[in-house]
Amino acid sequence: MTKRLILMLCAALLCGVFVAACGGDDSGGGGGGGGGGSSESGATEGAKVIDPSLAENAKGEVTYCQGKDTSGNAHYMIEQFNKKYGPDLKAKLVEFPASADEQRNQFIQRQQAKSGDCDVFSSDVIWTAEFASQKWLYDMTPYMKDKKDQYIEAPVETVTYDGKIWGVPESSDAGLLYYNTDKVKSIPSTWQEVYSQAEKKGGIVYQGAAYEGLTCDFLELFFGAGGEVLSKDGTKSTFADGDAGVKALSFMVDGVKNGAAPKAVTTYMEPESLTAFQTGKYAYMRNWPYAYALNKKAAKVKGNFDVGPQPTFEGGEKAGILGGHNSVISVYSKNPGGALKLIEHIGSPEIQKAYAAQFSLSPVRADVYDDPDVQKAIPFANALRDGITQARARPVSPVYPQISQAIYKNVNAALSGQTSPEDAIKQANADIEKALQTF
Amino acid sequence: MAEATVQSGAPQKRRSRGLSEKGLAFWMVTPSMVLIALVAAYPIIYAIWLSLHEYSVRTAGLSRWAGPFGLRNYTTALGNSEFWDAMFTTLIFTASSVFLELVIGLAMALAMHAAFKGQGLLRTVVLVPWAILTVVTAIMWRTIFESPQGFVNQIVGGDTVWLGSEPQALIVIIIADVWKTAPFMALLILAGLQVIPGDIYEAAKVDGATAWQRFRKITLPLLTPAILVALIFRTLDALRIFDLPYVLTKGANGTTTLSLVAQQTFAENRIYGLGAAYSILTFITVMIVSFTYIWTVGGNIRGLAED
Repeated sequence: MTKRLILMLCAALLCGVFVAACGGDDSGGGGGGGGGGSSESGATEGAKVIDPSLAENAKGEVTYCQGKDTSGNAHYMIEQFNKKYGPDLKAKLVEFPASADEQRNQFIQRQQAKSGDCDVFSSDVIWTAEFASQKWLYDMTPYMKDKKDQYIEAPVETVTYDGKIWGVPESSDAGLLYYNTDKVKSIPSTWQEVYSQAEKKGGIVYQGAAYEGLTCDFLELFFGAGGEVLSKDGTKSTFADGDAGVKALSFMVDGVKNGAAPKAVTTYMEPESLTAFQTGKYAYMRNWPYAYALNKKAAKVKGNFDVGPQPTFEGGEKAGILGGHNSVISVYSKNPGGALKLIEHIGSPEIQKAYAAQFSLSPVRADVYDDPDVQKAIPFANALRDGITQARARPVSPVYPQISQAIYKNVNAALSGQTSPEDAIKQANADIEKALQTF
Repeated sequence: MAEATVQSGAPQKRRSRGLSEKGLAFWMVTPSMVLIALVAAYPIIYAIWLSLHEYSVRTAGLSRWAGPFGLRNYTTALGNSEFWDAMFTTLIFTASSVFLELVIGLAMALAMHAAFKGQGLLRTVVLVPWAILTVVTAIMWRTIFESPQGFVNQIVGGDTVWLGSEPQALIVIIIADVWKTAPFMALLILAGLQVIPGDIYEAAKVDGATAWQRFRKITLPLLTPAILVALIFRTLDALRIFDLPYVLTKGANGTTTLSLVAQQTFAENRIYGLGAAYSILTFITVMIVSFTYIWTVGGNIRGLAED
C-alpha cells in the first residue's frame, strides 16, 4: 500500500513539475536563442535598416499578422490591396487570438524561432521598445523620415525608441471622458471640477483594478500634473521627482474616500466601468472610444450621454493615454519590399478613411477626421482627434511590463487604502528603478 | 514443432537468435522510458537549466551563467519579499481550501454512498461544479461578489468591495475553489467507501455499535488511504493555484500566489531565469508538503496494510 502511494505521489509530483517546466518551455527556448554573441552596448545598435527603394519592384506574397479581425477591417484592407497590386504582389491575413497578451506571445514565439511567418505585424503601441531591443524589427527611420508629418505626433511617439522609428502608426486610441447629460451639461475645464461635480451628481467610474488599465488611468492624471516616468534617455526613474506623483495619486485616493468614485472602482476593468456607467447612476466615465457605440445601445444612457477629451489637471496640462496599433516589419521577413508596400497601403488616406468610416477605428492622420464621411460615421470625431492629439505615449522601454506593474500594483494598493499615496509613489519609484536594472 | 526441436537441440543458437528474458524486458520498457524522458525529464532538466542562467530582456540573444554556482536567481527569489508574501498566501489558501474540501467532500461522499432513490441523479448533480472550467467558475464568482450590485451584497445588504479588500478577496477565492473541487474530493472518497465490505458494518451492528461508533471505528480508518490520496492530489493542486486569483484579482489585495509570481516573471516580464527559479521553488515546496503527508499519515497506512 505504502509503495503504491509513494508511486502515485511521485507520478503526481512529476505532473507538477511538468506543468511548471512546460510553462517554462513555451517561450523559454528563445530566451538565449539569439546566438549569444552580441555585446551589451546600445540597445538597438546594429539593427537591420529598411531600404525604402525595396518597395518599388515588390513582388510575391506578403503576410499580415494581427489579432482576431472582429470588425473585419483587416479582411477589407487585404482585399483592397490584392485588387490594387495583384496578381504579382499578394497579401495574406493571419489572425492571432483576440487577447493582446496572446498576440504578443504568438509574435514572440515566431521571432524566437526566426520564422518569416509574419512579414508585417500589427503591434500594440506598448511593445515597440521590447521588440526593437530584441532586434526583431526593421529600423523604419529612412522610410518614415519624409512621411512623419502626415501623422498625428503622439502615435509616432509610440514607435520611436532609441532615436529611431520602428514602425508606422496604423490605428489609434485614446482615453476619453464620457458624461451623462442628465447630470452634467458639459465637461468642466479641470479634473478637480470633474471630481467635485462627480461627488454631488452620482460619481465617476474608471479602471481601478490592478492591471494595465489602471496604469493608463493613473498616468493620465500624472502626466497632466506634470510628471514624467523615465528620464529622457530611459535609464532612470523620475517617477518620484517633484510632486506630480503624490498630487495625482492623493487626488484619486481622495476621490474614492469622499465618494466621487465608488469604492468598487478598485476592482473595475473596462467592462465593469462600462456596465456601471450604463446603469445611468454615474455622471462620468473614463473609457476608450469603443464605449461610444456600446453606450448608444444601452437603454438607460443611449439618449443622454456625450463624450469629450480629458480636461486639464489643475495647475498642469491636458493629457490622455494613447492606445492603438502600429505596423512593424519582422527582420525575418522574406519579402521586406512587399511588406513596405503593404504598410504604405494601410497608411494611405483611402484605407485610413475606410477604417474610420466603416470600422470605427481611430485614424492616425489628422486630415482624415475632417472627411465628411468620417464625421458622419463617428459623431464624436472632433473629440476623438483632440483626445488623440493631446494624448501621451506610455513609457517606451523594453522593461515596460515591469514598469506598468510597478505603477498599477502600488496605485491600486493606495486606492484600496492599504498604503498612503506617499508610500505608494515611493515604492513604485523603487520598483521602477529595480525594473530598469533588469539584465 | 520442428523449430522447437531444433532449438532444444541447440540452446546456444536460440539465445543468439531470440532475446533473453532480460533483453526482451529491456526492449519492451524502452519505449515508455524514452517517452517519459521526452515529456517529463527533458522539460524538468530544461527548467533547472534555465533557472541557472540569466537571459537579457534588453539585449537580443545575450545570456550568462547566473553568478556564483549559478544560484543568483535563487538568492534573488529568496530575498524577495514578494516571494515570501506569495508563499504565505499560497499556504493559507491551501490549508483552508483543502481542509474545507475534505470536510464537505466527506459529507457529500457519505450522502452519495447511502442507498436511496435518486442516488444516480445526486451523484451527477454533485459533479457539475467540477465539470465547469475554472476560468468560468472564476467569472461566475466574480459576478456573485461584485460590488455594489452583486448577488451577495444584495442579500447581505452591505457595500463591501469583496474583491477589493484584504482578506475578503482571498476568502472569495477560497470559496470559489471549495465550490469547484469539493466534488472531486467526494468522488475519490466515494470510491474508497465502496470498497469497504458491508459485512463489517453488519458485524458491528450485531455487537451493538452506534452509528457514530461505526463511523469512527470502521469508516474513517478504512477510508484513510482513499482520503490520503485525495488529500495529496488536492494539496498538490492547491499549491499551484493560478487561474482563480488570475481571473478574480490578478493578485491584488493579498492574493498573489506562487504560480502567479512565476507566471508574471516568466511570461509577462520574460525574465526567464528568475521565472524558472520561482517554478522550481514552487516545485520544491510542493514536494516538501507532500512528503510531510507521507511521513505523518503514512505510518497509519502501513499499519493497515500489514493487517
